[in-house]
Amino acid sequence: MAERQAPLQAGDKLTFLLSLVPFLMDHDRISVGEVAAHFGMKPEQIRDAVRLIGVSGIPGETAQYQHEDLFDISWDDFEENDQISLTHRVAIDDSPRFSAREAAALIAGLQYLSALPEHADRAAIASLMAKLSRGASAAPSQLAVEASDTDETLSLIRDSVTAGVQIEFDYLNSRGERERRRVDPLRVESLDADWYLRAWCHLREAVRTFRLDRISAPVVTAEPITHRAGDVGLPDTLFEGSDDDLTVVIEVATAAAPLLADYVPEGAETSERDGRLRTTVRVSHYHGLKRLIAAMPGVAVVIEPPEARRAVAEWAAAGAARYNDSAPTGG
Amino acid sequence: MSPASTASRVPVEERLFSLVLALLATDAGLTKAEILSTVQGYRQRYSRSGDNSNLERQFERDKDDIRELGVPLETIESPGESGNNQNLRYRIPRGDYELPADIAFSPEETTLLNLAAMVWREGSLSAESRRALLKLRSLGVTSDDPIVGYAPRLRVRDAAFEPLSAALEKHVIVRFGYLKPGEHDARTRTVAPIALIQHRGRWMLHAADQDAKGTRNFLLRRIVTPVTTTNTRYEPFPPEAMTAAIAELEQIWRDRTALVEVVPGSDAATRLDKRRGTETAPDGALTLHFSDLDLFADELAGYGPEVLVVSPPELRDAVRSRLTRVAVDHG
Repeated sequence: MAERQAPLQAGDKLTFLLSLVPFLMDHDRISVGEVAAHFGMKPEQIRDAVRLIGVSGIPGETAQYQHEDLFDISWDDFEENDQISLTHRVAIDDSPRFSAREAAALIAGLQYLSALPEHADRAAIASLMAKLSRGASAAPSQLAVEASDTDETLSLIRDSVTAGVQIEFDYLNSRGERERRRVDPLRVESLDADWYLRAWCHLREAVRTFRLDRISAPVVTAEPITHRAGDVGLPDTLFEGSDDDLTVVIEVATAAAPLLADYVPEGAETSERDGRLRTTVRVSHYHGLKRLIAAMPGVAVVIEPPEARRAVAEWAAAGAARYNDSAPTGG
Repeated sequence: MSPASTASRVPVEERLFSLVLALLATDAGLTKAEILSTVQGYRQRYSRSGDNSNLERQFERDKDDIRELGVPLETIESPGESGNNQNLRYRIPRGDYELPADIAFSPEETTLLNLAAMVWREGSLSAESRRALLKLRSLGVTSDDPIVGYAPRLRVRDAAFEPLSAALEKHVIVRFGYLKPGEHDARTRTVAPIALIQHRGRWMLHAADQDAKGTRNFLLRRIVTPVTTTNTRYEPFPPEAMTAAIAELEQIWRDRTALVEVVPGSDAATRLDKRRGTETAPDGALTLHFSDLDLFADELAGYGPEVLVVSPPELRDAVRSRLTRVAVDHG
């Protein structure tokens, strides 16, 4: 196994080496720190790569890797001043092409972003995609992502994040309560087709996540925000557990289990039998749970506690009852 | 010390880097024997008189790994010696390796590509994006402004995605068990993948069904067995096949509509009203577009009593029976 896994990591390192050489060729003398910042890597990773490049080359006419067949750098300047200058180069003249899959990943990412308010210039995106295709070593793989929906709410919120001003809106939470909120918008996030705002809520005096499709009547204020993402320790994950969360045992078809992954706490006990997985999920209240489970009919069932089962049963039964009209209930 | 243990001192990335350099530097190409006996990382393990089969296998794997990174490693036959494997020559043609000189990216484009790469946070597409960005950095352009307060994300949670995307890349036929809604047993499908498409937040495989003789769309979440990759290759489809598939999905979505009543002010009223293409009648009833009746019925069932489907009758029945099922499961 180790033999097969190793090349993956090595593949990243190889790509980096092949990318670093042309970059160094364009810079007569550059510090390790600058290169690290540019490539988003650690200084030690840059030093390792430079040391390797400095002793690499081609077999050459003698097939003996003679001095003139190797890259060379100013070793003293490198060791003493942490500066890189390439003094001799071989084989490489230019940056490598993208692979078909690399180009496809970026093109699909662009497709997804293409409808967003700040990318109104569709022609510019199309030309960028064409460039990626032309810069790939083979036709990009057939991967497509539908452009994300966009509306005025998203563009207003984006503007307020950029401007650093507070925003106000009506929010309907999953309990069905509607309140006017004033928030410090910190980050706009999406997961596939759904958009969220992470913000400091002045009403709750805490960081909250708001679904954009539950926001109505947004108004951007002139008031600067009072909390910043760095100050409030905005977590990376969208769905945060809290100590007040309720724990619920559910059974879900194994194939559908990934759909609930956001709700399963780390280290949750799970057991599998007959293609069904029994696990624990964490929810902030049963109002959210009933909506979640009712949208997975036949796939997920709440096992305990009884109150949670009852909340789901009542929700679904009330829904079904709407179809009975004049017909007697109880069937 | 045995040759193998000496060779383990040459790191994998050094061997791969040396191989790329050697093959870029040769116009005529190198034979396998020349590579194994002279290139850094192989030559240490090469035996002039003995058996080099392990080393040959290593070279075969390295070739695959390098090609997967987008390096166009090509094989040429020596004139008059076709069919003689030992005399095949290997090289990397510079023109196919290097990014064309006229391809450059502006700071604005670089910002956009950074964001497009960020969209993939997990799975192989995230690794592909990371490598693509290294190549982009190689060109030395920096983005005009860092992306703050913005985190769009696409997820690939279906287990079938990775094997299907690999098969799409290699143009090989795959087989999997597909469970259609309303059927009890999964049926094995043998298909030639044409494209992976995310539509309305769900991943779909557009493929040529080898038994049904036609193209079909398969929802990845309904693939209920591991995907088996065969060795049978198929002729790659033209890019128009994917464009046509997307247009067809869009057309289906446009053609299928449902009329629903929603409880005013409810979660359903707020969120469904914001779906793309929704029309609101004067009496508050919503006309909604959908692609897949079963998935849409699941979604509507989640709203419980907040939604009453008026038409079409199949959707009305589907939602009603789902709600009844959930109520029974939790009774």
